[in-house]
Amino acid sequence: MRNKWISGISAVCLILALPFFNWIKVVNLVALFSRIGVTKDMAKDLLTGYNLYNLLSFVQYANQGVLGLFAMVLLILTAAAIYFNVAFIIRSLLGIKKGKGELSLLAAGKCAFLFEFLTAAATIAFVIFSNAKFKMTGFLPGAVVYIELVISIAAYIYIKILEKKERDKYREHGLWVELKRNWVLFVMLIPTFVYFMINNYLPMLGVYFAFTSFNFRDGLWSSPFTGFKNFEFLIKADLFRLTKNTVLYNVVFIGIGNILQIFFAILVSRVTVKWFKKTSQTLMFMPYFVSFVILKVIVYNVFEYQYGLINNLVTQMGGERIDFYNNPSYWPFLITFFYLWKNIGYGMVVYLATIMGIDNEIYEAARVDGANELQQIWYITLPHIKPTFIILLLYALGSIMKGQFELFYQLIGNNGVLFNATDIFDTYVYRITMTQPLSIGLGTAAGLYQSLFGFLIIVLVNYIVKKRNPEYALF
Amino acid sequence: MARDLDYEPSAPKTIKKSTGTKVFEAIAYTLLILGSIICVLPFIIIVSGSFTDNATILTQGYSLLPRDFTLSAYQTIFKSPKDILQAYKMTLYYTVVGTGLGLMMITLTGYVISRKEFKYRNTVSFLIYFTSIFGGGMIPWYLMYANVLGLKGSTLAIWFPALMSPFLVILMRTFIVGAVPDAITESAKIDGAGHFTIFFRIVLPVLKPGLATVGLFLALGYWNDWYRSSMFSTNSSTWQLQFYLYDLLNATTAMKQMASNVSMKTADLPTESVKLAMAVVATGPVLLFYPFVQRFFVSGITVGAVKG
Amino acid sequence: MKKKVLSALLSMAMVAGVITGCGGQATQSAADQLEAEGVEEIPVAETQEETTEAEAPAAEAKELDLSQQVDLVFYVMGDAPQDEELVEAALNEKLLEKCNATVDMQFSTWTDFQQKYANEITAQSADLIYIANWLNYGQLASSGAFEELDEMLDTVAPDLKALVGDANLNMCKVGGKIYAVPNTWAEYVCNGVKYREDLRAKYDLPVPDSLENLEAYLLGIKENDPSQGLLTVTTEESQGLKTGFDAAWALNFKYNWVANNGLDYGLAANYDTPSDVYDYWYSDDFVDDMKTMKRWADEGFWSKSALSDTNNSDAYKNGLCVAEVAGQNPNKQITAIADFENAGQGWESAYVAYGETNGVIYPGHATQNGTAIVRGCKDPERALLVLQAMLCDDEINAIVQYGIKGTHYDVADGIYKNLQEEAGETPTFPYEGFNTWNLRNGETKLPQKTDVKLQEMFDKYADLGAKTKFPNVNIYDGFSENYDSYSAERSAVSNVMRQYLAPLEAGLVDDVDAAVEEFRDKMKEAGIDKCREEYTKQWIAYCEEYDYK
Repeated sequence: MRNKWISGISAVCLILALPFFNWIKVVNLVALFSRIGVTKDMAKDLLTGYNLYNLLSFVQYANQGVLGLFAMVLLILTAAAIYFNVAFIIRSLLGIKKGKGELSLLAAGKCAFLFEFLTAAATIAFVIFSNAKFKMTGFLPGAVVYIELVISIAAYIYIKILEKKERDKYREHGLWVELKRNWVLFVMLIPTFVYFMINNYLPMLGVYFAFTSFNFRDGLWSSPFTGFKNFEFLIKADLFRLTKNTVLYNVVFIGIGNILQIFFAILVSRVTVKWFKKTSQTLMFMPYFVSFVILKVIVYNVFEYQYGLINNLVTQMGGERIDFYNNPSYWPFLITFFYLWKNIGYGMVVYLATIMGIDNEIYEAARVDGANELQQIWYITLPHIKPTFIILLLYALGSIMKGQFELFYQLIGNNGVLFNATDIFDTYVYRITMTQPLSIGLGTAAGLYQSLFGFLIIVLVNYIVKKRNPEYALF
Repeated sequence: MARDLDYEPSAPKTIKKSTGTKVFEAIAYTLLILGSIICVLPFIIIVSGSFTDNATILTQGYSLLPRDFTLSAYQTIFKSPKDILQAYKMTLYYTVVGTGLGLMMITLTGYVISRKEFKYRNTVSFLIYFTSIFGGGMIPWYLMYANVLGLKGSTLAIWFPALMSPFLVILMRTFIVGAVPDAITESAKIDGAGHFTIFFRIVLPVLKPGLATVGLFLALGYWNDWYRSSMFSTNSSTWQLQFYLYDLLNATTAMKQMASNVSMKTADLPTESVKLAMAVVATGPVLLFYPFVQRFFVSGITVGAVKG
Repeated sequence: MKKKVLSALLSMAMVAGVITGCGGQATQSAADQLEAEGVEEIPVAETQEETTEAEAPAAEAKELDLSQQVDLVFYVMGDAPQDEELVEAALNEKLLEKCNATVDMQFSTWTDFQQKYANEITAQSADLIYIANWLNYGQLASSGAFEELDEMLDTVAPDLKALVGDANLNMCKVGGKIYAVPNTWAEYVCNGVKYREDLRAKYDLPVPDSLENLEAYLLGIKENDPSQGLLTVTTEESQGLKTGFDAAWALNFKYNWVANNGLDYGLAANYDTPSDVYDYWYSDDFVDDMKTMKRWADEGFWSKSALSDTNNSDAYKNGLCVAEVAGQNPNKQITAIADFENAGQGWESAYVAYGETNGVIYPGHATQNGTAIVRGCKDPERALLVLQAMLCDDEINAIVQYGIKGTHYDVADGIYKNLQEEAGETPTFPYEGFNTWNLRNGETKLPQKTDVKLQEMFDKYADLGAKTKFPNVNIYDGFSENYDSYSAERSAVSNVMRQYLAPLEAGLVDDVDAAVEEFRDKMKEAGIDKCREEYTKQWIAYCEEYDYK
């Protein structure tokens, strides 16, 4: 019952956050425009009030790149707030419960109001920030912002109280208790936290460059905000073909690659002669060290039309020369072959290690029961490999739009004749960015598209896997 | 724990091999030999090419045995032995430091996110995995190290960025989950063991194949990398081996192209054979090292831990 | 219970409605609001920058305050010489004395140098930097990567300005401002055809100085020695917006275009009438040319797999091909001569510049080798002073370019001699060991032995160049395109070139006419018209600015 009320409040917050209301008012128009260099002509595209959704249009049309990143963060916060509120309302209205009592529902509510609060607070901060930047009062937060702020704080505290009662009932605990109880685990994570912060999360701000047109005069964070201009080239491209090629190649690589890796790992693990075991393992690892640059040279020497090794053999046997480099149909197979060739030995190690981790007594028991080799593999080895296999598969799915750039680029090069069958997203983007060497935005925009594509797929697949067997889920 | 570490799963000497097993083994050996040959063939071409005269490679192509035997490619690479030894030394340093630290951090993280009692394990896993999908691109990453942290020219900038990878963390988690059943850690907890005790006494000993795999991948990553030297080194004394070799080649090709724009002298390098000799020089030590790693792919330790 | 929920939702809706009602009025166009307020014109704010500029005294030489030592970073291309530290120490000793400044040379290395060059400017960690048109000088300057030098040249470095000269500095102008100081050594990079003179003489073939003669030369060699490779052409030199395959460079024999391979986007203009832009890709000439290419391909002048070929710059040197048509210049010819001498097989290389046939010859552009001061430099004035010292001061210039006299080099008969090379050692500081081609001083540059032959070629071209309508003026290379407004179309056009133009120019299509039609259609789809329109506008404006009519 109480939940319905809270979800009602959440709905109010949600409505307030919809684009009907002005969160930011532009005041002192003349003085402000004169200060930031907006002409009367430009003013046609500007408004006197903005919500968080069209705030970026102000940044773009008033040419105020300085505010771009902040406005972007606001937009992301808003999106998050909307998402969590909608999720919360749906869950509470439908009465979806999992875990202990209403704890998870309350946590969702907390999240929803937290983000509402953050959005409102950040909006006020934005106003203060931009006024300070322009050294005048040009912006004011709308009344809605304050309402939102108050409501979300109140609701958050209310949920907190409810949650405490629930927790007492179910002996669950929150972050603080967890921290106290498992502080050692948190300590273990500190280096990891520092590492990923420096190496990944802080540089991630650079995603913003996908929406700007960088120039050196204004610098990285103040360059003009240009909306989706950097994405235009993706629309110009044959996006369907690129996506299809990339995904298909990856599916084949991942699928056949893993199967062969497992296959050879099992073979190696079954071999009893020790030196043979080690030697074959080492030899199969060797292609990993052959760089694509060298591979390209060797492949060209083998498949060239006039002097190539294969065509020499073919003509010696009285056959017709094969024109590999002008015939797209050969290349999907060749590329797949070289991918597998290069990666089997490397990927095999993971499965070999997994197989080696299997308890010997299980095999022995099976042998005593009269199981033959194939049965042992089928009933013992494969089930033990399954978790690793699924995790690797899931992991690879997130990068399904990212290709083996070096492999394709080196083997195919600039041979436009073969592009229909061999052009993947990365090679296309590479060619495009070559024509605009100073644009940071293009590459970032392309990367963002790849990331979003992979992200949606992985979230979906992970959700399904988690439903069926949480053991196998990636996160 | 007193087990034969090199115990082989299918070698019970008392039981006679059945025909099925024999057929299976015959097939296994054949396939492995075949696979090995396909894999090693190009490498033989590379090795023989590295001993072949550059002009011969260009005019007659590659072969399985060296023609016009010459050491000139190696002479070019080892032209200044001091520099290449320094590069070997630095690479070894980066590899040892990076692999050691990285392996520790990855294992600890893998342990934490595999603990069922850790409430936020999924959140942490997600945050780590997330970095493999989303990234800000190379320029912010470069500016982070070069400008924000001011590490340009420092060796830290060369080994730090490769300490961890989401892939290896997730892989490590899988290994830990597979190797350490909950029952063991639970019973250890009841005995009053802390997380560090469990980690060092119970998890690490049974994790050898996992540690070897992740360590191998980390080490190979360090050994084969040239990119961070290219980005962050300001002095050739901090170069990685691969970069030393790679740049030798790039300088020649780039300068030849550059000569379209600028009147300049270009270095003359037997490009083709040097390319191949480079692969040999960089790969050799790793191949010597690999059998050592293989020792850790041993089976049958889990049981010992449970019972011991 | 349902009732309560319903009432809650209702009341919410009401609240929302009230707030919407209040807020609704607030949103309106800023222009309307201004209208309502009766604002006619928005006053232009006087920024602080402008006021200081206005107050600044008229440009005149001034004494710099040199009391503070400044440590500058000079970013150059390529690899460091072994004796970097030694020479730097000698250099800094002089610089401290003259400008109270030191210079730390930093090298890009040749790996990923374009990327790293852009990074370096973005990070603003260097003070002085090497610039060149092949490093996108124009785009960088117009996007504000460098400090403006107009005024500073007068106030800080009048000697430098006098040495370089206004004409040269003018060529470095982007948007009306000078952002770089060029070197002062004129060189000719006239593209042309390098061919095997010994084979030509042996089989008594014509000199390949026109399309027909080149064809006859190649055919002649093919007849006499069928196993001999003819051309090693790839896509390596054809990555821009002019050609897609290197063999097409040979077409330069036919046209007296303002630039090698014409203008971008398949446009063209003749050197004598630069502002008169016409169409090439949609003309009949283009179809004819593509048929020539097809004929050549069918004759087997190049490999059918050439589009994927690895760039084999050693092919000519090793006798795998008998001519090179793309990306050649006098300097490469000199290298080839030396290579053939070393090989000792009696091979000879000769060179025909396209300009010798089509009558268009001009020297390299000033922006080919220059120095700029990176925006955000610690002390731009001091940096310029140091640059002046490095270029104008003979002693300092000699240290930078050649190292330490007596240790690294010596001068005999006015010719540079590397002492270590003569002693058979690897030079620890070779000629121009810092790769500072931007610090070449035409008046004092020491020639190397090979430079004698090079200079002969240059003199020949200078004579020919003097006879053109714009004597010895490089028109095209001073132009930098601003493609911001059509970058997406531009990229698409480039992509179509790789996919449809390259096979055409490589003669790999069965039916030339059909393939040309397809190529043209795809170009239209990619938005070639928009690119051409904008490009032509900018090009004509450029020609007018410099009075190339």
